Amino acid sequence: MTTMNKSLIHLLLVCCGTGCVANGAREVYQALKDNLTSDDKAVLAATTSARATGCHGLCAQGPFVRILPEDITYCRVKAADIPEIVEKTLKQGEVVKRLLFRDRQKKTLVQGQNDIPFYQRQTRVALRNVGLIDPSSLQDYLERGGYRTLEKSLLDMRPEQVIEEIIKSGLRGRGGGGFPTGLKWKACAATPAQPRYIICNGDEGDPGAFMDESIMEGDPHSVLEGMIIAAYAVGASNGFIYVRDEYAQSVASLRKAIEEAENHGFLGENILGSALSFNIEIVRGGGAFVCGEETALIASIEGNVGEPRDKYVFPSEKGLWGQPTIINNVETWANIPVIMERGASWFTSLGTEGSKGTKVFSLVGKVANTGLVEVPMGTTLREIIFDIGGGVPKGRSFKAVQTGGPSGGCIPSELLDLKVDFDSLSQAGSMMGSGGLIVMDDRTCMVEVVRYYLSFLAGESCGKCVPCREGIKCLLEILTRICHGQGEIGDIALLEDIAETMQQASLCALGRTASNPVLSTLRYFREEYLEHIEGQRCPAGICRELSEFWIDPVICTGCGLCLPRCPVEGIKGEKKQAHWIESDKCIRCGECIDSCSFQAIKVK
Amino acid sequence: MELIIDGKTCKANPGDSILNVARREGIAIPTLCYHEAFGGQGSCRLCTVEVTAGGRSRLVASCTYPVSEGIEVKTSTPAVEKIRRNIIMMLYKRASGSVLMQKLYREYGCSENSLGEKEEERCIVCRLCVLACEKMGTSAISTVMRGIDKRVGTPYDQAATACIGCAACAHICPTGAIEVLDSGNTRTIWNKNFNLINCERCGQPFATREQIDHVSRLSGIEDAELCFCEECRRKKLVGKMQGFSPC
Ligand SMILES: Cc1cc2nc3c(=O)[nH]c(=O)nc-3n(C[C@H](O)[C@H](O)[C@H](O)COP(=O)(O)O)c2cc1C
Ligand code: SF4
Ligand code: SF4
Ligand code: SF4
Ligand code: FES
Ligand code: FES
Repeated sequence: MTTMNKSLIHLLLVCCGTGCVANGAREVYQALKDNLTSDDKAVLAATTSARATGCHGLCAQGPFVRILPEDITYCRVKAADIPEIVEKTLKQGEVVKRLLFRDRQKKTLVQGQNDIPFYQRQTRVALRNVGLIDPSSLQDYLERGGYRTLEKSLLDMRPEQVIEEIIKSGLRGRGGGGFPTGLKWKACAATPAQPRYIICNGDEGDPGAFMDESIMEGDPHSVLEGMIIAAYAVGASNGFIYVRDEYAQSVASLRKAIEEAENHGFLGENILGSALSFNIEIVRGGGAFVCGEETALIASIEGNVGEPRDKYVFPSEKGLWGQPTIINNVETWANIPVIMERGASWFTSLGTEGSKGTKVFSLVGKVANTGLVEVPMGTTLREIIFDIGGGVPKGRSFKAVQTGGPSGGCIPSELLDLKVDFDSLSQAGSMMGSGGLIVMDDRTCMVEVVRYYLSFLAGESCGKCVPCREGIKCLLEILTRICHGQGEIGDIALLEDIAETMQQASLCALGRTASNPVLSTLRYFREEYLEHIEGQRCPAGICRELSEFWIDPVICTGCGLCLPRCPVEGIKGEKKQAHWIESDKCIRCGECIDSCSFQAIKVK
Repeated sequence: MELIIDGKTCKANPGDSILNVARREGIAIPTLCYHEAFGGQGSCRLCTVEVTAGGRSRLVASCTYPVSEGIEVKTSTPAVEKIRRNIIMMLYKRASGSVLMQKLYREYGCSENSLGEKEEERCIVCRLCVLACEKMGTSAISTVMRGIDKRVGTPYDQAATACIGCAACAHICPTGAIEVLDSGNTRTIWNKNFNLINCERCGQPFATREQIDHVSRLSGIEDAELCFCEECRRKKLVGKMQGFSPC
């Protein structure tokens, strides 16, 4: 896959993405370097190279050390494991079994990354270099073909041809809206005003999402190259990358990449000897979720409060400082060079009718393999959650998957065979958003989940316009009441009424989509609302006022696992005999349910 | 250019908003956050209308939507009316203490529901006070917090150094949410106390010292010439600010 210098025998890829760094990956990498350069291993050092790479995707199993060309992938590696890896694997060609990936379903050990089920069904386009190259090395990027398409575009194509190619590819923005990228560029190029600007949206405000982070950290040059190609296509002079403030490693990685690109003539005056001059600046965002909305982001770069503006004229005509501006998402940018390299027809061969190419998802929640997944558009939810994600752990069952970030919708098990793309998700009452997938099991109360999302949005909306600000407040008030057992008969109609006004009249897409969680669950889980309101019961056993637990004596084996988990000593019973809950003591925390391996504890 | 509003062909200039054109033509569109002095903010959304452009209809805020040739506007469709009713309902629930909201709540025929009311609140966060203060050149108040907690305040809710006690904010406020307490020769507003100056002619207290200094600094007119109340002054000194300033 990756190029290896001929004289090298081994290439070691150490994941130094943010997730793995938090688990000691830097120490692992340092230990490896130290070990390779220590005196008696001089021969090894000459034939082995170690690379600190970006995220390998399966973060929960990191830090990873992947050895090429054999493709031996070690998981959860600690610095202390390095001497053994060097001794056994590098010197003697032996595999250290205890560090291999354990396939829990098949109960086998898996050696190569490409054999791990999580990776098998993926198609890495936007993530093509992430995990393979050292992001701080321009050389690594060049070896993988980097900046070749920039050169091709600049020297052999006219700007209109570049735009035409992107239009033909059918690429739609990966930041959420799914707007056709080529058309956006065309509109910008057609607006006479100068100067023009290019913006990369790296705000990534969705909780739990990290696809853009992994690209900025792990393959920053692909983003830069995409932006420079666009600068040529629309005649822009300045670019900005707006990075979420928490992403320190992304900022460092981008900064280094910009510096190197400048030193090698890919950025700056007369790029590659052409007439194009273009600079890129990093802007650190420090705002709310709403700052990722393009007009709020533009306001923020201008130094104003990060509040959206009415978008009756698009930024492509009137954007940053009132000038024509292209704003695209990180993942969108990373797709540009490879589309230009392999051609629009290659790109359209991937995906569905209305959504071409691949999409990166962050798969989290109640799923065995959490991590970053890139699949062709049109892959079903079932494939992503069960084949790649390994399904719902702990013997619980799948209940719903929330897609599209905090203002996306919840999709039920009946729709697991939905082919995921922009249009199918909207039709299902949810959205693609930036690609968050949160899996929920049967211990999830849908009303409570929605209440949680609304409380997130309550603090992350800008609060400027009435439908969003007051609408969220009203929805939250009603949902909170329902969760506390004080729902009223008219509440469902009221929720729907307010939700509709929010959708139709809010200023920006945050307010227009903020009611999606409510509307999608009313569509698929209406019964559960009614249970809360009329039945005074929370079937998932989450809302305390509405939950009552009992132990089914037929199923209970008397193992006693639940006993010490109860914080109020409310569970009684002898070993090997059915246990019971003293309901007057029980505080309905639900600890016991989650501790029982036999699912003997039920909700009344 | 021309556009059609409620069936009537109207002339407009590029840069006009739908609301501008409608007002010129005497077509009523309700608003809460709009004021001629500042232009459209697009925040209350009460001015929502239905626009058909290029065969596509959508609901837009008329105070920020820039007109274009041949668009057709309907200012009162069932969808529009429903949005307005819900906006009024929600703002009334937020600021039930406001007489204006109580009146609108009745006028719009909002139906009773299970949402709680806030009798102690009057502010609807229209931001007109902030804009008025900005226009005074003082910017003593601004919106603070975000999301559902957004409100208007001085920095850290302390008496603001920048505040000159002009009460322009209170004058423009549609809901009477800003307290101005004038008693004898003191005025209290936004947690700050001011001495009121008496008019040189009639002797009535009429403005704060800070306010006169501020106007003098901005306009270059000597303090002494500003020490008359509006009645007595009869000369228009600071035309630009007259709309807001009682001095
Ligand atoms: C509330 C809200 C938050 C958003 N956050 C992001 C974000 O974090 N990153 C992003 O790329 N786009 C975000 N968007 C979408 C942007 O407004 C914009 O559509 C996008 O950056 C355009 O790029 P694209 O066409 O490549 O997707 C957000 C939109 C909304 C309404
Ligand atoms: S919809 Fe919400 S986030 Fe968007 S402008 Fe209105 S208040 Fe702000
Ligand atoms: S009294 Fe005048 S200066 Fe003070 S906050 Fe109000 S408008 Fe601003
Ligand atoms: S105090 Fe009055 S003018 Fe200021 S935002 Fe509130 S309602 Fe509007
Ligand atoms: S950070 Fe290492 S696998 Fe994601
Ligand atoms: S008057 Fe147009 S949004 Fe308030």
